[in-house]
Amino acid sequence: MTERDEGRRLTRRGLRISGLGLAGLAAVYLVALRYTPVERFQGLPQKIFYLHVPAAWSALLAFSLVGIAGALYLWLRDPRLDLFAESIAEAGLVFSCVMLTTGPLWGKPVWGTWWTWDARLTLTLMLFFLFLGYRVLRGAIQEPGERARFSAVVGILGMVLVPFVHLSVYLFRTLHPQPIVLKPSEPSLPWEMLRTLLLSVGVYTVLLIGFVTTRYGLGRAAEAEGERDVR
Amino acid sequence: MSADSYANAGYLIAAYVVTAVILVGYALLLWRRSRTRE
Repeated sequence: MTERDEGRRLTRRGLRISGLGLAGLAAVYLVALRYTPVERFQGLPQKIFYLHVPAAWSALLAFSLVGIAGALYLWLRDPRLDLFAESIAEAGLVFSCVMLTTGPLWGKPVWGTWWTWDARLTLTLMLFFLFLGYRVLRGAIQEPGERARFSAVVGILGMVLVPFVHLSVYLFRTLHPQPIVLKPSEPSLPWEMLRTLLLSVGVYTVLLIGFVTTRYGLGRAAEAEGERDVR
Repeated sequence: MSADSYANAGYLIAAYVVTAVILVGYALLLWRRSRTRE
């Protein structure tokens, strides 16, 4: 199988996985809106949690993998690792957009403000801009080896920021709620809510895999055809 | 559900619509890129 055929095969597989993820997203909407109880104090806006939290996890996972792929690229010099980093960085930016739009839509009715410059929110915004810069950097460098090296370094620096984003609610006084699932003790959510959250995390993970597989396949096909960028 | 429970439903609807637009939009963008490559 040629490089081009392999890229196309991965693209088709990625699109099928993405379609499955979108069907799963419809199921999340149904379960969250119809079969999950309304939280007593926050009311309906609490249900934004089922879209916001998995988006944040997916974005942080994606940005961590960009750094890991970057470090492996610097070690092994395999261009497929650079393409994987580029693909998952783009997916991470998409999930960041979900995180950064649903967060204020929850904050306004619950906190009374769209945005506050506390540690968690500010660090998350910095991470978003860092990976936006990563994408701009990739577009600005012509030579593939140089582009991969510079991007790997920026990706590693972005990955270093991820634990600070997660731990910021412990390290600083912040308005943002503390983790209620990813913490040393048991999750502090009723089962009906935890079930919906876990379903949503699973669906977002399928979407992440689908998006990255598709984008990676498109990149492989573009490289085989001698193109530099996927448009 | 009481009338109070429906307060701020607009934020909920906006969040669910925005999320669908972003995720479906990106999937469609990838699909369009794949079409141009066929």
